[in-house]
Amino acid sequence: MGTNSVSGRAPSRRQVLGGLAAGAAITGFPHIAGAQAKAIRVGMPTILSGRVAILGTSSRAAVQLAFRQINEAGGIGGRTLELVDRDSKGRPDEAAKVTRDLINNDGCEIIIDGEASSGAFAVHEVIRDLPVLCLHTCSETSSLSADPKLHVKTAFRCARQGIHDAVAGSTYAARIAKQKGLKRWMTCSPDYAYGRDNTAEFLEFAKLFEPSIETVDQVWPKLFAPDYTESITKILQTKPQAVYSALWGGDLVAFIEQSNLYRLFANVAMFSGGLGDPPVLTAIKQLPPGLNTAYRYNRTYPAKPANTAFADGFAKIAGHEPTNWAWQTYLGCLFVAEALKRTGGRTEGAKLASELKGMAVAAPFAVGETITMRDSDHTIVGYPVAWGRTVPKAPFVEDFSDVDWGKIVELETQWKKGKGYA
Amino acid sequence: MNLEALVDCLSSASCAVTQVSTGLIVGMLLFLVTSGLSLIFGVLGIINFTHGAFYMLGAYFAFTAYALSGSFLAAMAAGAVGVGLFGMAFERLIMSRVYGRDILMQLLVCYAMILILDDGVKLLYGGEYRMMGMPDAFALPPVEIAGGFVPGYYLFMVGIALAAGLALWLGINGTRLGKIVRALAINPQMVGALGINTTLLYAGVFGLGSLLAGLAGALAAPIRTLTPGMGLSILIESFIVTVIGGMGSIAGAFLAALLIGFTRAFGAIGFPLFVDGMMFALMALVLIVKPSGLLGREAA
Amino acid sequence: MRVSLMRVSPLRAGLARDVAVAVAGLALLLALPMLFPQPALRDFLIYFFAYGLLAMSLNLLVGLTGLVSFGHAAYFATGAYAFGLLMQSGLVSIPVAALAAVGGTALVALVIGAICVRLKEIYFSFITLAFQMFIHSVIVTWVSLTGGDQGLRGGIPRPPILGLDLNDARVLYGTCAVVFVLCILAMRQVAQSPFGYTLRMIRDNPARANFLGVDVTAMKLGIFVFAAAMASVGGLILALFVSGAYPEFAFWTTSGEAIFMIMLGGMKVFLGPLAGTLLLQTLNHYVTIYTEHHGLVLGTVILVIVLGLRRGLADVLYDWLQARRARRAAASDPVPGSFEPAPLADGALIKGRTV
Repeated sequence: MGTNSVSGRAPSRRQVLGGLAAGAAITGFPHIAGAQAKAIRVGMPTILSGRVAILGTSSRAAVQLAFRQINEAGGIGGRTLELVDRDSKGRPDEAAKVTRDLINNDGCEIIIDGEASSGAFAVHEVIRDLPVLCLHTCSETSSLSADPKLHVKTAFRCARQGIHDAVAGSTYAARIAKQKGLKRWMTCSPDYAYGRDNTAEFLEFAKLFEPSIETVDQVWPKLFAPDYTESITKILQTKPQAVYSALWGGDLVAFIEQSNLYRLFANVAMFSGGLGDPPVLTAIKQLPPGLNTAYRYNRTYPAKPANTAFADGFAKIAGHEPTNWAWQTYLGCLFVAEALKRTGGRTEGAKLASELKGMAVAAPFAVGETITMRDSDHTIVGYPVAWGRTVPKAPFVEDFSDVDWGKIVELETQWKKGKGYA
Repeated sequence: MNLEALVDCLSSASCAVTQVSTGLIVGMLLFLVTSGLSLIFGVLGIINFTHGAFYMLGAYFAFTAYALSGSFLAAMAAGAVGVGLFGMAFERLIMSRVYGRDILMQLLVCYAMILILDDGVKLLYGGEYRMMGMPDAFALPPVEIAGGFVPGYYLFMVGIALAAGLALWLGINGTRLGKIVRALAINPQMVGALGINTTLLYAGVFGLGSLLAGLAGALAAPIRTLTPGMGLSILIESFIVTVIGGMGSIAGAFLAALLIGFTRAFGAIGFPLFVDGMMFALMALVLIVKPSGLLGREAA
Repeated sequence: MRVSLMRVSPLRAGLARDVAVAVAGLALLLALPMLFPQPALRDFLIYFFAYGLLAMSLNLLVGLTGLVSFGHAAYFATGAYAFGLLMQSGLVSIPVAALAAVGGTALVALVIGAICVRLKEIYFSFITLAFQMFIHSVIVTWVSLTGGDQGLRGGIPRPPILGLDLNDARVLYGTCAVVFVLCILAMRQVAQSPFGYTLRMIRDNPARANFLGVDVTAMKLGIFVFAAAMASVGGLILALFVSGAYPEFAFWTTSGEAIFMIMLGGMKVFLGPLAGTLLLQTLNHYVTIYTEHHGLVLGTVILVIVLGLRRGLADVLYDWLQARRARRAAASDPVPGSFEPAPLADGALIKGRTV
């Protein structure tokens, strides 16, 4: 290691004492929440820094909007809702730690979990230990609620679920494939558990609905890869008629822009599970028309004044259009508020959970009147699972066509049996 | 493993052209980042772990300049020069204070800087995805070469990277200043004794290395998504390239960047699931067989 | 092997003192939650145990032997995953799973270490980093076994051991505290043993050690494996507590944090890395509570410490004590220009390593 000299100068006594005093001051634990009678504290572990910071910042803005509206309308029997958010930095062990802290130290009586993927599973385990009410509002992984081995009595998912998306997406894709004779398919999805599961489920159902669909090749770029050139040129070489992609967020923005350079979408039909997220759509400078995408969020769909009002209210707080995570989290807040009203403001996890089971709330995003928290596996149904096509100008996605929930549930049940979940 | 597909591709002109260009596109931007990292290590003997964050800074500087002026040239200049100046300031104010100290001290300083820069970018621009946008001059259909397609912007990008690399190589090996810089790497006391301002030279070399990272970031801004923390993956990749090519060797960085580029391009055809493992395996293999890298000097 | 180049305190007296300190430390750790019964303190301390063991074991390589590993968290993760998988299989009890996890990690470290320790200086750092990234990618890729990026799901069961119910948070805390103190004590014994002093010699002058007939490679490999085993205990504690294991454990940023804990705390004093762990964990804890811009705050604090103090906090304290002792010695010795070398001129101290 060559040179390792330490300067001979000793630090002054004052320097050392100052350091010690500072050390002593921060090792105490003064931050203990007393019994708060006025406000009901709701804790939120989420990701506020790094590459997916927008997941946390947009989810948080949704809670802020919802709580402001609830509190302005008189709160819960005179008590207000107060958000305590905390950054897990995308680390699952940190997510577990801050969740425990929020419950044990900050007096949070309810958790709205804004963690994705592994973080949500970590929070799930904390809730098993400390059974307060918990709503996962960002994790789409099916097993979180579908696998009975993972079931936690007071934990619910208020987010879209992979298997629902797979059925809805492949129903839509099979219809288009039949119309246009798209037989040769390729996939381009991020190489991690969600990307692989999502893609496999999509293909499984698409082939079930339209047997002429054939997978000619699959490419798996790394999650958070900055460059997709080798995947794009591979697609160019293979010349499929259609491409399905589970890419999302910033990765998808880069993929679309880089594909534009090759004019990829001039000859290939694109089916994307993640393109419909407004921040993705607005970040792309040249959005090609006619790409097929799942609904992630859109202020024009469902076309209801309440939906537009939500989008406006959200944009005022966050400075951009709502994300997929935003509507899910906002909906989560509506569930929490309704459950609290029904318990008369009592916050015990078991009490709230029994109210939440099977609860239906009227939401701006409901395609029908309400979105339901399913009793059997603690996950929402009846949320928008539509697909539409891109247009270069706002609202960026049009022609949403809905998929029948009856069919989704039927195939979901079969899928659960196949997995040994039911 | 699909060797047949690989052979098929190599025997068809269109496929070969597209994949070779892919290798160059992937490799050359990587080379631009890595050359700066390698230059700084070669002369100053420190590993600049903030290099990825500088790349991010270059992209955001270019994004801002383009949004304000609408000029692509101004965006490139802002990314490169802005980060170059930032790098010099960082070297003078912070990095120079830990010269000659434990490498871990330098690592710690760089880590602190990464935290500050990532958070600073988030504070200024928010966590949303950003894209600089492609200037109209490049919004053309891809160029056809022997049946293969190469986008015009990539030709420009590879050209700039090659030119920058060549200029750097000629500058170091063919000019008087380059001679001084090489001497500085070997015996700084002697250079100082000859009346040359080594402090300025150190800052200049650090600034130049940072400029290269900034330029790479600016070139990436129209085609890659800008987010806080985007420097992380580039840091790891350029680190692998530096180690494989040889710490401090610009030519080695060039060779290794091409190697990685072509591994990725043809790996996608021949052995798609093993590309990542390949990179780590290559790095470990090089370290075991020849720790100083493909073209690195043997440690003194 | 006869290495008595430096002063070696008589083993028995040293051991007795260490055990006494360990018992006092354990008593303090067990008393703390009784004095401050908030569960948050217990949580905080369990994380402190886990990351403390990671940092302390890494310092056996960095500070004691001069091997700067950039990939130590690989063993932290290996321990966590091995333990979690064994417990989820439902076939073994906690102590058996723990021992198997530590043993298994030692085996992995033996294979990787045998390749790594042959490389010198910065190249050793790089290859440990490469192997860590390799292990990380294995964890992420091998979805059927590890759950990939989603980690080990479904929780890690905690069946009772010898009537102790680890699902009781207080029992869990007590068990972790005992394991933690035992591991620290074990590391202390290794550092103070003739083996430990051989390692210091290898650090300060490997050529000389080689010349004296020390098998440098074998010695380095020995401490590499031991440090990995100790790190795996840290991972195991964390896995037991968060009831899962995640690929982030094996990511290079975790290794990076362990290095920062060592640097912040200091390498010269045996318990220095623990001071660093405490400092970083505390900073993290409070900064995250009060601001989402913890990157700015934490980064600035680190810069101030590094540029202002230029060494870890425990080292500052140590140097200050040494200097004061030197001044006292100088004051009591009326003859200026004494032949007695001032403690600050001590060779090992100049090297800035564990003495």
